Amino acid sequence: MVTMRKPVIEVAGLRCRYGDFEAVRGVDFEVLEGELFALLGTNGAGKTTTMETLEGLRAPFAGTVRVMGVDPWRERAALRARTGIMLQDSGFPADLTAREMVRLWGVTSGRRATEDVLERLDLAHRRDVRIKQLSGGERRRLDLALAVLGRPEVLFLDEPTTGLDPESRQRTWEVVRGLLGDGTTIVLTTHYLEEAESLAHRLAIMHEGVVAVSGALVDVLAAQPARISFDLPGRLDVTALPMLAGDVVHRPSGRVEVRTAELQDDLAVLLGWARREGLRLGRIRANHASLEDVFHSARTGKEVVAA
Amino acid sequence: MIAALGVAELKLLLRNRTAATLAVLMPLAAGMFFAFTMNGEEGGWTVIVTLQLMFSFGFTVYVTVTTALTARRQDLYLKRLRTGAASDVVVLTGILLPVVVLGLAQALVLLGISVAAGAPMPARPDLLALALVGGAAISCAAGVCTSGLTGTAELAQITTAPFFFAMVVGGLISTDGVPDVRVLLLPGSGLGTLIQAAWGGPTERIGLAMLSTAAWIAAATALSVRFFRWDPRG
Repeated sequence: MVTMRKPVIEVAGLRCRYGDFEAVRGVDFEVLEGELFALLGTNGAGKTTTMETLEGLRAPFAGTVRVMGVDPWRERAALRARTGIMLQDSGFPADLTAREMVRLWGVTSGRRATEDVLERLDLAHRRDVRIKQLSGGERRRLDLALAVLGRPEVLFLDEPTTGLDPESRQRTWEVVRGLLGDGTTIVLTTHYLEEAESLAHRLAIMHEGVVAVSGALVDVLAAQPARISFDLPGRLDVTALPMLAGDVVHRPSGRVEVRTAELQDDLAVLLGWARREGLRLGRIRANHASLEDVFHSARTGKEVVAA
Repeated sequence: MIAALGVAELKLLLRNRTAATLAVLMPLAAGMFFAFTMNGEEGGWTVIVTLQLMFSFGFTVYVTVTTALTARRQDLYLKRLRTGAASDVVVLTGILLPVVVLGLAQALVLLGISVAAGAPMPARPDLLALALVGGAAISCAAGVCTSGLTGTAELAQITTAPFFFAMVVGGLISTDGVPDVRVLLLPGSGLGTLIQAAWGGPTERIGLAMLSTAAWIAAATALSVRFFRWDPRG
Protein backbone atom coordinates (compact mmCIF):
# COMPACT_ATOMS: atom_id res chain seq x y z
CA MET A 1 0.00 0.00 0.00
CA VAL A 2 1.55 3.29 -1.08
CA THR A 3 0.73 6.21 1.12
CA MET A 4 1.78 9.82 1.30
CA ARG A 5 0.82 10.18 4.92
CA LYS A 6 3.59 11.10 7.28
CA PRO A 7 4.44 9.24 10.46
CA VAL A 8 3.11 10.95 13.58
CA ILE A 9 4.74 8.49 15.97
CA GLU A 10 8.14 6.91 15.38
CA VAL A 11 9.56 4.20 17.63
CA ALA A 12 13.04 2.82 16.99
CA GLY A 13 14.95 0.22 19.00
CA LEU A 14 12.81 0.86 22.09
CA ARG A 15 13.83 -0.98 25.24
CA CYS A 16 12.20 -0.53 28.67
CA ARG A 17 13.20 -1.97 32.01
CA TYR A 18 11.71 -2.40 35.46
CA GLY A 19 14.88 -2.89 37.50
CA ASP A 20 16.54 -5.96 36.01
CA PHE A 21 13.46 -7.08 34.09
CA GLU A 22 13.38 -5.99 30.48
CA ALA A 23 9.69 -5.61 29.60
CA VAL A 24 10.28 -4.22 26.11
CA ARG A 25 13.24 -5.65 24.22
CA GLY A 26 13.78 -3.74 21.01
CA VAL A 27 10.61 -2.51 19.34
CA ASP A 28 10.26 -0.55 16.10
CA PHE A 29 7.11 0.80 14.49
CA GLU A 30 5.52 3.89 13.01
CA VAL A 31 2.03 5.28 13.33
CA LEU A 32 0.83 7.31 10.35
CA GLU A 33 -1.24 10.45 10.46
CA GLY A 34 -4.96 9.82 10.78
CA GLU A 35 -4.78 6.06 11.19
CA LEU A 36 -5.73 3.76 14.01
CA PHE A 37 -2.79 1.64 15.05
CA ALA A 38 -3.57 -1.33 17.28
CA LEU A 39 -0.97 -2.67 19.69
CA LEU A 40 -1.93 -6.22 20.58
CA GLY A 41 -0.48 -8.97 22.74
CA THR A 42 -1.08 -11.09 25.79
CA ASN A 43 -0.79 -9.73 29.33
CA GLY A 44 2.85 -8.99 30.03
CA ALA A 45 3.77 -8.69 26.34
CA GLY A 46 4.93 -5.10 26.91
CA LYS A 47 1.99 -3.19 25.38
CA THR A 48 1.24 -0.92 28.30
CA THR A 49 4.91 -0.26 28.96
CA THR A 50 5.29 0.75 25.31
CA MET A 51 2.19 2.94 25.55
CA GLU A 52 3.45 4.64 28.71
CA THR A 53 6.71 5.43 26.95
CA LEU A 54 4.83 6.97 24.01
CA GLU A 55 2.71 8.94 26.49
CA GLY A 56 5.83 10.36 28.12
CA LEU A 57 5.17 8.71 31.47
CA ARG A 58 8.39 6.70 31.47
CA ALA A 59 11.82 7.17 29.97
CA PRO A 60 13.00 4.55 27.49
CA PHE A 61 15.96 2.50 28.69
CA ALA A 62 17.30 2.59 25.13
CA GLY A 63 16.09 3.58 21.68
CA THR A 64 14.18 6.63 20.50
CA VAL A 65 10.53 7.63 20.57
CA ARG A 66 9.10 10.64 18.74
CA VAL A 67 5.52 11.86 18.91
CA MET A 68 4.79 14.63 16.41
CA GLY A 69 8.54 15.02 16.15
CA VAL A 70 9.02 15.56 19.88
CA ASP A 71 10.59 13.39 22.58
CA PRO A 72 7.58 12.68 24.82
CA TRP A 73 9.69 12.12 27.95
CA ARG A 74 11.87 15.22 27.74
CA GLU A 75 9.27 17.53 26.24
CA ARG A 76 6.13 16.27 27.89
CA ALA A 77 4.74 19.77 28.35
CA ALA A 78 4.98 20.55 24.63
CA LEU A 79 2.81 17.55 23.75
CA ARG A 80 0.17 17.59 26.44
CA ALA A 81 -2.35 19.95 24.94
CA ARG A 82 -2.17 18.00 21.65
CA THR A 83 -2.51 14.46 23.00
CA GLY A 84 -5.36 12.70 24.76
CA ILE A 85 -4.53 9.76 26.99
CA MET A 86 -6.77 7.04 28.38
CA LEU A 87 -4.73 4.94 30.78
CA GLN A 88 -5.51 1.32 31.53
CA ASP A 89 -6.68 2.42 34.98
CA SER A 90 -8.80 5.54 34.96
CA GLY A 91 -7.18 7.15 37.98
CA PHE A 92 -10.26 8.92 39.30
CA PRO A 93 -10.51 10.28 42.83
CA ALA A 94 -13.59 8.52 44.20
CA ASP A 95 -15.19 11.56 45.83
CA LEU A 96 -15.45 13.98 42.91
CA THR A 97 -18.51 14.05 40.67
CA ALA A 98 -18.36 13.42 36.93
CA ARG A 99 -19.02 17.09 36.21
CA GLU A 100 -16.32 18.24 38.65
CA MET A 101 -13.87 15.84 37.03
CA VAL A 102 -14.66 17.22 33.56
CA ARG A 103 -14.14 20.79 34.78
CA LEU A 104 -10.89 19.92 36.52
CA TRP A 105 -9.65 18.07 33.47
CA GLY A 106 -10.59 20.96 31.20
CA VAL A 107 -8.06 23.03 33.14
CA THR A 108 -5.32 20.49 33.89
CA SER A 109 -5.28 18.84 30.48
CA GLY A 110 -4.61 22.18 28.82
CA ARG A 111 -7.66 21.62 26.60
CA ARG A 112 -11.01 23.28 26.93
CA ALA A 113 -13.73 21.54 28.92
CA THR A 114 -17.18 21.35 27.48
CA GLU A 115 -19.82 19.45 29.34
CA ASP A 116 -21.32 18.19 26.09
CA VAL A 117 -18.70 15.41 26.15
CA LEU A 118 -20.81 13.91 28.92
CA GLU A 119 -23.77 13.92 26.58
CA ARG A 120 -21.79 12.35 23.76
CA LEU A 121 -20.95 9.44 26.02
CA ASP A 122 -24.42 9.16 27.54
CA LEU A 123 -23.36 10.38 30.96
CA ALA A 124 -25.29 13.64 31.15
CA HIS A 125 -27.89 12.21 33.55
CA ARG A 126 -25.07 11.05 35.86
CA ARG A 127 -23.10 14.29 35.90
CA ASP A 128 -23.62 15.07 39.60
CA VAL A 129 -23.01 11.57 40.85
CA ARG A 130 -19.77 10.87 42.70
CA ILE A 131 -17.36 8.80 40.66
CA LYS A 132 -17.32 6.04 43.27
CA GLN A 133 -21.04 5.51 42.62
CA LEU A 134 -20.64 5.17 38.85
CA SER A 135 -20.60 1.69 37.33
CA GLY A 136 -17.42 0.34 35.79
CA GLY A 137 -18.73 1.04 32.31
CA GLU A 138 -19.75 4.60 33.20
CA ARG A 139 -16.31 5.27 34.64
CA ARG A 140 -14.65 4.01 31.50
CA ARG A 141 -16.90 6.24 29.40
CA LEU A 142 -16.07 9.23 31.59
CA ASP A 143 -12.44 8.34 31.08
CA LEU A 144 -12.91 8.40 27.30
CA ALA A 145 -14.82 11.67 27.55
CA LEU A 146 -11.82 13.25 29.30
CA ALA A 147 -9.33 11.79 26.83
CA VAL A 148 -11.17 13.27 23.84
CA LEU A 149 -11.80 16.64 25.48
CA GLY A 150 -10.80 19.49 23.19
CA ARG A 151 -10.17 17.15 20.24
CA PRO A 152 -6.53 16.10 20.62
CA GLU A 153 -4.48 15.38 17.49
CA VAL A 154 -3.16 12.11 18.87
CA LEU A 155 -5.11 9.81 21.13
CA PHE A 156 -3.74 6.93 23.20
CA LEU A 157 -6.34 4.38 24.31
CA ASP A 158 -5.08 1.63 26.61
CA GLU A 159 -7.75 -1.08 26.72
CA PRO A 160 -10.65 1.38 26.43
CA THR A 161 -13.37 -1.27 26.28
CA THR A 162 -12.17 -3.82 28.84
CA GLY A 163 -15.07 -4.69 31.13
CA LEU A 164 -17.68 -2.82 29.08
CA ASP A 165 -21.05 -4.29 28.13
CA PRO A 166 -21.72 -4.68 24.39
CA GLU A 167 -23.73 -1.47 24.20
CA SER A 168 -21.05 0.66 25.87
CA ARG A 169 -18.48 -0.95 23.63
CA GLN A 170 -20.50 0.00 20.55
CA ARG A 171 -20.74 3.57 21.80
CA THR A 172 -17.00 3.69 22.35
CA TRP A 173 -16.44 2.43 18.83
CA GLU A 174 -18.76 5.11 17.44
CA VAL A 175 -16.78 7.81 19.24
CA VAL A 176 -13.51 6.33 18.00
CA ARG A 177 -14.75 6.16 14.40
CA GLY A 178 -15.97 9.74 14.67
CA LEU A 179 -12.53 10.87 15.81
CA LEU A 180 -10.87 8.96 12.96
CA GLY A 181 -13.25 10.71 10.59
CA ASP A 182 -12.01 14.03 11.98
CA GLY A 183 -8.40 13.02 11.28
CA THR A 184 -7.30 12.07 14.80
CA THR A 185 -4.39 9.62 14.97
CA ILE A 186 -5.13 6.83 17.44
CA VAL A 187 -3.01 4.20 19.17
CA LEU A 188 -5.15 1.49 20.74
CA THR A 189 -4.39 -1.55 22.85
CA THR A 190 -7.06 -4.16 23.34
CA HIS A 191 -7.61 -7.78 24.26
CA TYR A 192 -10.62 -7.96 21.95
CA LEU A 193 -9.29 -9.03 18.58
CA GLU A 194 -12.56 -8.38 16.79
CA GLU A 195 -12.30 -4.81 18.05
CA ALA A 196 -8.87 -4.42 16.47
CA GLU A 197 -10.10 -6.16 13.33
CA SER A 198 -12.98 -3.75 12.91
CA LEU A 199 -11.15 -0.53 13.83
CA ALA A 200 -7.45 -0.82 13.01
CA HIS A 201 -5.73 0.22 9.80
CA ARG A 202 -2.41 -1.20 10.89
CA LEU A 203 -1.27 -3.19 13.88
CA ALA A 204 1.57 -4.80 15.76
CA ILE A 205 1.29 -7.93 17.86
CA MET A 206 3.77 -7.98 20.72
CA HIS A 207 5.01 -11.12 22.38
CA GLU A 208 7.49 -11.21 25.26
CA GLY A 209 8.70 -7.67 24.68
CA VAL A 210 9.19 -7.79 20.92
CA VAL A 211 6.96 -7.24 17.90
CA ALA A 212 6.07 -10.66 16.53
CA VAL A 213 3.81 -9.50 13.72
CA SER A 214 3.23 -6.09 12.22
CA GLY A 215 1.79 -4.42 9.17
CA ALA A 216 -1.44 -3.30 7.59
CA LEU A 217 -4.43 -5.30 8.80
CA VAL A 218 -5.24 -6.61 5.32
CA ASP A 219 -1.65 -7.74 4.71
CA VAL A 220 -1.33 -9.36 8.12
CA LEU A 221 -4.53 -11.28 7.53
CA ALA A 222 -3.55 -12.21 3.97
CA ALA A 223 -0.23 -13.64 5.19
CA GLN A 224 -2.05 -16.23 7.25
CA PRO A 225 -3.47 -19.31 5.51
CA ALA A 226 -7.23 -19.55 5.19
CA ARG A 227 -9.05 -22.59 6.51
CA ILE A 228 -11.54 -25.03 5.00
CA SER A 229 -13.11 -27.63 7.23
CA PHE A 230 -15.76 -30.31 6.71
CA ASP A 231 -16.83 -33.78 7.82
CA LEU A 232 -15.83 -36.57 5.47
CA PRO A 233 -18.40 -39.34 5.00
CA GLY A 234 -17.46 -42.17 7.37
CA ARG A 235 -16.11 -44.76 4.96
CA LEU A 236 -13.65 -42.36 3.31
CA ASP A 237 -10.04 -41.57 4.19
CA VAL A 238 -8.20 -38.29 3.45
CA THR A 239 -6.11 -40.15 0.87
CA ALA A 240 -9.23 -40.14 -1.29
CA LEU A 241 -9.21 -36.32 -1.50
CA PRO A 242 -8.09 -34.61 -4.73
CA MET A 243 -4.78 -32.68 -4.95
CA LEU A 244 -5.04 -29.42 -2.96
CA ALA A 245 -2.64 -26.50 -2.61
CA GLY A 246 -3.06 -26.42 1.16
CA ASP A 247 -2.09 -28.83 3.96
CA VAL A 248 -4.69 -31.39 4.95
CA VAL A 249 -5.15 -32.56 8.53
CA HIS A 250 -7.61 -35.25 9.59
CA ARG A 251 -8.70 -34.57 13.15
CA PRO A 252 -9.52 -37.48 15.48
CA SER A 253 -13.07 -36.09 15.61
CA GLY A 254 -13.38 -37.04 11.95
CA ARG A 255 -13.27 -33.45 10.81
CA VAL A 256 -10.93 -32.61 7.95
CA GLU A 257 -9.09 -29.29 8.01
CA VAL A 258 -7.30 -27.70 5.07
CA ARG A 259 -5.01 -24.76 5.72
CA THR A 260 -4.41 -23.02 2.44
CA ALA A 261 -3.15 -19.83 0.86
CA GLU A 262 -5.42 -20.54 -2.15
CA LEU A 263 -8.85 -20.59 -0.57
CA GLN A 264 -10.89 -20.09 -3.73
CA ASP A 265 -9.00 -22.64 -5.87
CA ASP A 266 -8.87 -25.33 -3.22
CA LEU A 267 -12.51 -24.86 -2.40
CA ALA A 268 -13.46 -25.17 -6.08
CA VAL A 269 -11.40 -28.35 -6.49
CA LEU A 270 -12.87 -29.84 -3.36
CA LEU A 271 -16.48 -29.06 -4.21
CA GLY A 272 -16.03 -30.23 -7.82
CA TRP A 273 -14.59 -33.52 -6.59
CA ALA A 274 -17.41 -34.07 -4.11
CA ARG A 275 -19.97 -33.41 -6.79
CA ARG A 276 -18.37 -35.82 -9.26
CA GLU A 277 -18.12 -38.51 -6.60
CA GLY A 278 -21.67 -37.88 -5.44
CA LEU A 279 -20.50 -37.17 -1.86
CA ARG A 280 -22.02 -34.89 0.71
CA LEU A 281 -19.42 -33.10 2.83
CA GLY A 282 -20.83 -32.28 6.23
CA ARG A 283 -20.84 -28.83 7.83
CA ILE A 284 -18.57 -27.16 5.30
CA ARG A 285 -16.85 -24.01 6.49
CA ALA A 286 -14.42 -21.81 4.60
CA ASN A 287 -12.82 -18.82 6.32
CA HIS A 288 -10.11 -16.35 5.66
CA ALA A 289 -7.69 -16.06 8.54
CA SER A 290 -8.98 -13.99 11.42
CA LEU A 291 -6.85 -11.86 13.68
CA GLU A 292 -7.36 -14.60 16.23
CA ASP A 293 -5.42 -17.03 14.00
CA VAL A 294 -2.63 -14.46 13.50
CA PHE A 295 -2.54 -13.79 17.23
CA HIS A 296 -2.33 -17.45 18.03
CA SER A 297 0.54 -18.13 15.65
CA ALA A 298 2.36 -15.05 16.99
CA ARG A 299 2.09 -16.43 20.50
CA THR A 300 3.27 -19.86 19.53
CA GLY A 301 6.37 -18.23 18.07
CA LYS A 302 5.87 -18.66 14.36
CA GLU A 303 7.07 -15.42 12.86
CA VAL A 304 4.73 -13.80 10.39
CA VAL A 305 5.78 -10.53 8.82
CA ALA A 306 3.56 -8.73 6.39
CA ALA A 307 5.38 -5.92 4.65
CA MET B 1 -4.20 25.13 37.20
CA ILE B 2 -2.99 25.27 40.79
CA ALA B 3 -6.29 26.79 41.87
CA ALA B 4 -8.35 24.10 40.07
CA LEU B 5 -6.22 21.33 41.57
CA GLY B 6 -6.41 22.95 45.00
CA VAL B 7 -10.20 23.27 44.93
CA ALA B 8 -10.53 19.63 43.86
CA GLU B 9 -8.16 18.54 46.62
CA LEU B 10 -10.03 20.52 49.26
CA LYS B 11 -13.30 18.87 48.19
CA LEU B 12 -11.69 15.45 48.36
CA LEU B 13 -10.30 16.17 51.80
CA LEU B 14 -13.58 17.43 53.24
CA ARG B 15 -15.66 14.67 51.61
CA ASN B 16 -13.58 11.92 53.18
CA ARG B 17 -14.86 11.64 56.73
CA THR B 18 -11.74 10.05 58.25
CA ALA B 19 -9.36 12.48 56.62
CA ALA B 20 -11.53 15.48 57.44
CA THR B 21 -11.86 14.47 61.10
CA LEU B 22 -8.14 13.91 61.46
CA ALA B 23 -7.24 17.14 59.68
CA VAL B 24 -9.87 19.50 61.04
CA LEU B 25 -11.67 18.32 64.17
CA MET B 26 -8.88 16.46 65.96
CA PRO B 27 -6.33 19.30 66.13
CA LEU B 28 -9.05 21.84 66.96
CA ALA B 29 -10.38 19.69 69.78
CA ALA B 30 -6.90 18.93 71.11
CA GLY B 31 -5.87 22.59 70.83
CA MET B 32 -8.94 23.75 72.75
CA PHE B 33 -8.34 21.07 75.35
CA PHE B 34 -4.79 22.34 75.87
CA ALA B 35 -5.97 25.96 76.11
CA PHE B 36 -8.72 25.34 78.63
CA THR B 37 -7.33 22.60 80.86
CA MET B 38 -3.60 23.22 81.13
CA ASN B 39 -2.16 25.78 83.51
CA GLY B 40 -1.19 28.85 81.55
CA GLU B 41 0.54 30.64 84.43
CA GLU B 42 4.25 31.53 84.45
CA GLY B 43 5.27 30.77 80.90
CA GLY B 44 2.92 27.80 80.69
CA TRP B 45 1.29 29.46 77.66
CA THR B 46 4.43 28.80 75.62
CA VAL B 47 3.97 25.08 76.13
CA ILE B 48 0.26 25.29 75.26
CA VAL B 49 0.82 27.34 72.11
CA THR B 50 3.66 25.04 71.04
CA LEU B 51 1.44 21.99 71.49
CA GLN B 52 -1.35 23.66 69.53
CA LEU B 53 0.92 24.51 66.64
CA MET B 54 2.58 21.10 66.65
CA PHE B 55 -0.83 19.44 66.40
CA SER B 56 -1.86 21.77 63.58
CA PHE B 57 1.33 21.08 61.66
CA GLY B 58 1.52 17.44 62.65
CA PHE B 59 -2.05 16.35 61.98
CA THR B 60 -3.48 18.95 59.65
CA VAL B 61 -0.42 19.34 57.47
CA TYR B 62 2.02 16.43 57.87
CA VAL B 63 -0.35 13.48 58.36
CA THR B 64 -2.87 14.89 55.87
CA VAL B 65 -0.27 15.50 53.17
CA THR B 66 1.10 11.98 53.63
CA THR B 67 -2.34 10.36 53.59
CA ALA B 68 -3.68 12.46 50.71
CA LEU B 69 -0.70 11.89 48.42
CA THR B 70 -0.67 8.17 49.20
CA ALA B 71 -4.41 7.85 48.56
CA ARG B 72 -4.18 9.82 45.31
CA ARG B 73 -1.30 7.65 44.17
CA GLN B 74 -3.22 4.50 45.08
CA ASP B 75 -6.21 5.77 43.07
CA LEU B 76 -3.76 6.40 40.19
CA TYR B 77 -5.00 10.00 40.26
CA LEU B 78 -1.40 11.25 40.42
CA LYS B 79 -0.58 9.21 37.34
CA ARG B 80 -3.61 10.65 35.55
CA LEU B 81 -2.60 14.19 36.48
CA ARG B 82 0.78 13.55 34.87
CA THR B 83 -1.01 12.81 31.60
CA GLY B 84 -2.31 16.38 31.72
CA ALA B 85 -0.58 19.65 30.98
CA ALA B 86 0.33 20.48 34.59
CA SER B 87 4.00 20.02 35.45
CA ASP B 88 4.98 17.86 38.41
CA VAL B 89 5.67 20.93 40.54
CA VAL B 90 2.27 22.42 39.69
CA VAL B 91 0.49 19.14 40.53
CA LEU B 92 2.22 18.88 43.91
CA THR B 93 1.68 22.55 44.71
CA GLY B 94 -2.01 22.24 43.84
CA ILE B 95 -2.44 19.29 46.16
CA LEU B 96 -0.38 20.74 49.01
CA LEU B 97 -1.80 24.25 48.91
CA PRO B 98 -5.25 23.67 50.48
CA VAL B 99 -3.68 21.55 53.20
CA VAL B 100 -1.19 24.28 54.09
CA VAL B 101 -3.90 26.94 54.06
CA LEU B 102 -6.05 24.74 56.29
CA GLY B 103 -3.14 24.14 58.69
CA LEU B 104 -2.26 27.81 58.95
CA ALA B 105 -5.89 28.84 59.38
CA GLN B 106 -6.23 26.31 62.13
CA ALA B 107 -3.07 27.49 63.85
CA LEU B 108 -4.39 31.06 63.82
CA VAL B 109 -7.79 30.00 65.17
CA LEU B 110 -6.13 28.08 68.00
CA LEU B 111 -3.88 31.04 68.81
CA GLY B 112 -7.00 33.18 68.96
CA ILE B 113 -8.62 30.71 71.33
CA SER B 114 -5.55 30.76 73.58
CA VAL B 115 -5.56 34.57 73.64
CA ALA B 116 -9.25 34.52 74.45
CA ALA B 117 -8.52 32.06 77.27
CA GLY B 118 -5.99 34.46 78.76
CA ALA B 119 -2.71 33.98 76.88
CA PRO B 120 -0.67 37.13 76.36
CA MET B 121 -0.09 38.46 72.85
CA PRO B 122 3.33 37.48 71.44
CA ALA B 123 6.06 40.03 72.12
CA ARG B 124 7.79 39.19 68.81
CA PRO B 125 5.04 38.37 66.25
CA ASP B 126 7.75 38.24 63.56
CA LEU B 127 9.26 35.16 65.22
CA LEU B 128 5.82 33.58 65.51
CA ALA B 129 5.27 34.18 61.77
CA LEU B 130 8.65 32.56 61.08
CA ALA B 131 7.63 29.54 63.16
CA LEU B 132 4.34 29.25 61.25
CA VAL B 133 5.99 29.38 57.84
CA GLY B 134 8.81 27.06 58.91
CA GLY B 135 6.42 24.60 60.50
CA ALA B 136 4.21 24.45 57.41
CA ALA B 137 7.27 23.95 55.17
CA ILE B 138 8.82 21.18 57.29
CA SER B 139 5.49 19.36 57.53
CA CYS B 140 4.83 19.59 53.80
CA ALA B 141 8.26 18.40 52.76
CA ALA B 142 8.24 15.59 55.33
CA GLY B 143 4.73 14.57 54.20
CA VAL B 144 5.78 14.28 50.55
CA CYS B 145 8.78 12.20 51.61
CA THR B 146 6.79 9.94 53.96
CA SER B 147 4.13 9.29 51.34
CA GLY B 148 6.88 7.97 49.10
CA LEU B 149 7.58 5.34 51.76
CA THR B 150 3.91 4.57 52.43
CA GLY B 151 2.15 1.92 50.34
CA THR B 152 -1.47 2.53 51.29
CA ALA B 153 -3.45 5.33 52.91
CA GLU B 154 -4.18 3.06 55.90
CA LEU B 155 -0.47 2.50 56.47
CA ALA B 156 0.03 6.26 56.73
CA GLN B 157 -1.28 6.05 60.31
CA ILE B 158 1.83 4.03 61.16
CA THR B 159 4.44 5.58 58.91
CA THR B 160 3.67 9.11 60.08
CA ALA B 161 4.06 8.28 63.79
CA PRO B 162 7.86 8.58 64.17
CA PHE B 163 8.24 12.01 62.59
CA PHE B 164 5.07 13.29 64.23
CA PHE B 165 6.26 12.36 67.72
CA ALA B 166 9.79 13.59 67.06
CA MET B 167 8.32 16.94 66.08
CA VAL B 168 6.03 17.22 69.11
CA VAL B 169 8.73 16.09 71.53
CA GLY B 170 11.33 18.36 69.90
CA GLY B 171 8.94 21.27 70.15
CA LEU B 172 8.11 20.62 73.81
CA ILE B 173 11.67 20.09 75.05
CA SER B 174 12.89 23.24 73.36
CA THR B 175 10.31 25.45 75.07
CA ASP B 176 11.87 24.72 78.46
CA GLY B 177 14.44 27.56 78.73
CA VAL B 178 17.77 26.80 77.03
CA PRO B 179 18.15 23.00 76.87
CA ASP B 180 21.10 20.99 75.57
CA VAL B 181 21.95 22.26 72.09
CA ARG B 182 21.60 18.72 70.69
CA VAL B 183 17.83 19.08 71.13
CA LEU B 184 17.95 21.24 67.99
CA LEU B 185 18.58 18.07 66.01
CA LEU B 186 14.91 17.15 66.48
CA PRO B 187 12.53 18.43 63.78
CA GLY B 188 10.17 20.53 65.92
CA SER B 189 12.82 22.04 68.18
CA GLY B 190 13.65 25.00 65.96
CA LEU B 191 9.95 25.84 65.95
CA GLY B 192 9.62 25.47 69.74
CA THR B 193 12.62 27.73 70.25
CA LEU B 194 11.11 30.38 67.97
CA ILE B 195 7.73 30.19 69.68
CA GLN B 196 9.32 30.54 73.09
CA ALA B 197 11.28 33.56 71.90
CA ALA B 198 8.15 35.05 70.35
CA TRP B 199 6.55 35.10 73.83
CA GLY B 200 9.54 36.79 75.44
CA GLY B 201 11.65 33.70 76.11
CA PRO B 202 15.44 33.46 75.63
CA THR B 203 16.54 34.72 72.20
CA GLU B 204 20.18 33.57 71.96
CA ARG B 205 19.23 30.39 70.08
CA ILE B 206 17.15 32.11 67.36
CA GLY B 207 19.91 31.81 64.75
CA LEU B 208 20.47 28.13 65.50
CA ALA B 209 16.72 27.51 65.56
CA MET B 210 16.33 28.97 62.09
CA LEU B 211 19.30 26.94 60.91
CA SER B 212 17.78 23.74 62.35
CA THR B 213 14.44 24.48 60.68
CA ALA B 214 16.06 25.27 57.33
CA ALA B 215 18.18 22.11 57.56
CA TRP B 216 15.08 19.97 58.20
CA ILE B 217 13.26 21.56 55.27
CA ALA B 218 16.26 20.96 53.02
CA ALA B 219 16.74 17.36 54.20
CA ALA B 220 13.05 16.49 53.83
CA THR B 221 12.93 18.05 50.36
CA ALA B 222 16.03 16.15 49.25
CA LEU B 223 14.58 12.88 50.60
CA SER B 224 11.28 13.65 48.85
CA VAL B 225 13.05 13.90 45.52
CA ARG B 226 14.64 10.52 46.26
CA PHE B 227 11.59 8.67 47.63
CA PHE B 228 8.45 10.23 46.18
CA ARG B 229 6.63 8.10 43.59
CA TRP B 230 3.87 9.03 41.16
CA ASP B 231 2.87 5.52 40.24
CA PRO B 232 2.32 2.62 42.67
CA ARG B 233 4.11 0.43 40.15
CA GLY B 234 7.28 2.44 40.78
